[in-house]
Amino acid sequence: MSPNTSLDVAPGDVDGDRLVAPSQRGSQRAVKKPRAQFTPYSLLVPATAVLAAVVGWPLIQLVIMSFQEFGRAQVFGAPSPFIGFDNYVEVLTDQAFWLVMFRSFAFAAVCVVSTMVMGTLIALLMNALGKVMRLVLSIGLLLAWAMPALTATIVWGWMFDTGYGVVNYVLTRWFGLDYIGHSWLIEPLSFFFVAALIVIWGAIPFVVFTVYAGLTQVPDEVLEASQLDGAGPVQRFRLIIFPYLRSIFLVVFILQIIWDLRVFTQIFALQGIGGIKEQTSTLGVYIYQNSLGTGEYGTGGAIAVITVIVITAISFYYVRQSIKEEEL
Amino acid sequence: MRKLSIAALGVVAALALASCSAGDGGSGESATGDLRVWLVGTDTPQEARDYLIDTFESENPGSTLTIEEQAWGGLVDLLTTNLSGSDSPDLVEVGNTQAAAFTSAGAFLDLTADYDALGGDDLLPGFVEAGSYDGKFYAAPLYSGSRLVFYKKDALAAAGLSVPTTLDEYVSNGEALAEANPGASGIWWPGQDWYNALPFIWENGGEVATFESSGWKSQFSSPGSIAGLKQVQDVMTNASRAPKDANETNPQVGYCEGTTLQLSAPSWVKWSILAPLDAETPGCPDEEANLGVYAMPGKDGGAAQVFAGGSNIAVSAKSAHPELAKKALAIILSDGFQEIYGANGLVPAKLSLADTLGTDEVAAAISEAAGAARLTPPSPKWADVEASGALTDFFVQIAQGGDVASLAKDLDAKIDSILNG
Amino acid sequence: MSVSTASRVTSAARSRAKAPPRPGSVSRRVTKVVLSALAAVVTAFSIFPVYWMVQTSFQPNNEIIGSEVNFWPQNFTLRNYETVLFDTTRSQFMPALGNSVVVTVSTVVIALVFAFLASLAVTRFRFKSRKGFILTILIVQMIPAEAMIVSTYRVLDSWSLLNTIMGLTIVYVATVLPFTIWTLRGFVNGVPVELEEAAMIDGLSRSGAFWRITLPLLAPGLVATGVFGFIQAWNEFLLALVVNSRPEMMTLPVWLRTFQIANGTTNWAAIMAGSTLMAIPVIVFFLIVQGRMTSGLVSGAVKG
Repeated sequence: MSPNTSLDVAPGDVDGDRLVAPSQRGSQRAVKKPRAQFTPYSLLVPATAVLAAVVGWPLIQLVIMSFQEFGRAQVFGAPSPFIGFDNYVEVLTDQAFWLVMFRSFAFAAVCVVSTMVMGTLIALLMNALGKVMRLVLSIGLLLAWAMPALTATIVWGWMFDTGYGVVNYVLTRWFGLDYIGHSWLIEPLSFFFVAALIVIWGAIPFVVFTVYAGLTQVPDEVLEASQLDGAGPVQRFRLIIFPYLRSIFLVVFILQIIWDLRVFTQIFALQGIGGIKEQTSTLGVYIYQNSLGTGEYGTGGAIAVITVIVITAISFYYVRQSIKEEEL
Repeated sequence: MRKLSIAALGVVAALALASCSAGDGGSGESATGDLRVWLVGTDTPQEARDYLIDTFESENPGSTLTIEEQAWGGLVDLLTTNLSGSDSPDLVEVGNTQAAAFTSAGAFLDLTADYDALGGDDLLPGFVEAGSYDGKFYAAPLYSGSRLVFYKKDALAAAGLSVPTTLDEYVSNGEALAEANPGASGIWWPGQDWYNALPFIWENGGEVATFESSGWKSQFSSPGSIAGLKQVQDVMTNASRAPKDANETNPQVGYCEGTTLQLSAPSWVKWSILAPLDAETPGCPDEEANLGVYAMPGKDGGAAQVFAGGSNIAVSAKSAHPELAKKALAIILSDGFQEIYGANGLVPAKLSLADTLGTDEVAAAISEAAGAARLTPPSPKWADVEASGALTDFFVQIAQGGDVASLAKDLDAKIDSILNG
Repeated sequence: MSVSTASRVTSAARSRAKAPPRPGSVSRRVTKVVLSALAAVVTAFSIFPVYWMVQTSFQPNNEIIGSEVNFWPQNFTLRNYETVLFDTTRSQFMPALGNSVVVTVSTVVIALVFAFLASLAVTRFRFKSRKGFILTILIVQMIPAEAMIVSTYRVLDSWSLLNTIMGLTIVYVATVLPFTIWTLRGFVNGVPVELEEAAMIDGLSRSGAFWRITLPLLAPGLVATGVFGFIQAWNEFLLALVVNSRPEMMTLPVWLRTFQIANGTTNWAAIMAGSTLMAIPVIVFFLIVQGRMTSGLVSGAVKG
């Protein structure tokens, strides 16, 4: 990504006295070739083995299940007949499923964009801070991050509680608004506002820390030089920082999409506190209700498979971008 | 009621038949072992736990019994996986409305042959039905808790009211209390609490769901149910100041603060309300003299048919020590163990032990309510109806003032598709 | 992209020596105050729910959910911590803490090592199934965990790994591994290949170059992903509940659940006290590793 940065430093750093040849491309190939047939695979063995065993194998079972009549009785050993695409047809023809899908995507879009924008801004802020404030901010973010999602949802739930929530209290007592007994969760939009707040609040620390870690890889000189060239902060971000962090941004962005589409704990716990489940369920909760909740594991499997396909399709563009980058 | 008793009769007949063919396949089982017993929540008193362990271990030298306490949250997930695995617990407690999901799935050992030895017809009939499937007996009653109405004596007196004798009077009392005490609930009723709506449906001649030749049929939109639901909506909007979409946890808080003047709740809520100030979850012990209790009245007087909460207990089909587990189950259903429940305000699993509840006001109300208590439909899919959240959604919308008839129709369609799906 | 960036980088590096004096110190100071104020606001927003959790953990249970809102414990009590730590009728905190620590630390260490190796493979080599691997890693993360509980349980059962530390660890490694590989890949991309090559020219083997040059340079990335893996494993609930159901194998999130009493009363204060205790090791872990994130050695090496 930043090939030449190393020029000044590489020799000293490795106690050598030879400089790297300027045209890396050729030498790169030359070094790699001899063992390239074997090494990458051996490097992948541990990860692949674990994933194949603990994700791959159950996943195959899940896919098989999705073509079977598989309820609670089948868990306890009743025969599970294959029923072709029946589970899929059932899911795809259910209007509720499409509503849930739409809701999940809308919710995820809002959360991902807000998280990315705010997370990046805070990371830049962190980078610009002095040592003390930086530590204060990172501990503040870490505390939020360290809070278990379930506990966080309970606490946020209290803060927005109808009867004794601090939010209603402050709005009423300090701002003179009439929020006594206001229910934040009973209207779906308001419910998702609270849910988004919890999700974004919980996701920002990760984005900040990751982007910040990436920022430490951007050479100060480049930034200083561009500043001297008269580049404003926006330009500096667009022209220098962003290209440097491109690959990290892409990674974080895709992860946020996936996580926010799958969001479970926050919605599930919030539904227990208030609101109407049917109007507020997202994919994660819907799958839970349809597999563990009602014991219809076949249907649950079908929803999971469809979900994976749809998310893959949606994120295909970004995935392709990301993989293209590897072509360097 | 009629359908219930027919089903129960079928069970009993099947039990009688099956008890003849009681050959046990436990030949490979070693005589000693370590039993794992799952109890849920803290309802079973420590005294009872000690009794179980001591009795079992002295009757079965060389064997041990460990009680592992689980919580209600996530219990169905936990049971579905663990009962099907090779490291299954031996005896498990399960909520009475959840039992059918497991009896029908073959998760429990068939106890038909032991029915008589465990107590036979002395066992709580509704719970026996909840623990039976297809004519076989799988899960024995463990304990039951009736729903009672708790009230503040001074508030009722100040409003010039007395303990209601009919359901209508209960409703009008609640509304009068709410009117006389602005901001307070005459009957505290958060929208998600659907158990308390059942007596209104049953008392007005409605049903939750009935079994017909074509399968289960949800009955929320039947005329009787609609009449009951309208009354529910009336209470929720005019007598209750509880949040329309909240759940029914921690009912003692509002009571102790004075914002809840009456509430209908399981009998053990008495102990939450009167918990000492230095208890883990403090209540308001100084309210003891002011805390009144009665059984919710029926439409035409007497006790209303209320929902009977409680638990069943069963032996896992995968238990490594089924014979030992049955011995432990026998101890659990023995009078010595069950009396401890009675002494702690829970209805014991046997009808003959009802008098162990004592003779005070609460005990009287419990026995009165327990006599008329009913359960949810004994369909193996009923637990799934509860898990789907359709019921809590429905009552939240009722509390919000939604149209009862059209909401009930939607709910019926949903429940039908789950029960027969 | 790399070419233009690269040329800018070099020119920047060269012009560094001649940098003129910095702009006026007054405006700098104003900027600094504004930035610090902003940071304070962000910190406050971030911390408030945490503060709320901690302050409620010092209140009696009945005052938390009363109609009075307390910004500070009115009747300060340690009762909830006593309940959580010393109530003998409940599952014990210390064994659960032990299980959690062992499972989480093993998960983080194993996942980081495996992920480091895998991310080297996909960033430093071109091979046939490379794209396929990257795609698989991504897709694996899309699978909703809630749908996999039953099949995961059965797989662990078939290997007799139920109710073992190892079983849970393996599952967690698999859970955080895709994420860790996916993220580390981005960081490895940020470490110049030339450093490794220079080292190899100087006589290090390829693996020696990875371990001695690339790995230390990845420290910030390893810390960021490691903290993530730590928090994931530390807080995971559903699988731990189902897979390790024996009380002696319980982890902290499952232990926390025992304070939900029956259906009627939940001891919220105890849950908050327990959650507060649960958060402390995460913070300790972070404080230990956070130095790495900004370590002059590390960033200096990259930046020159």
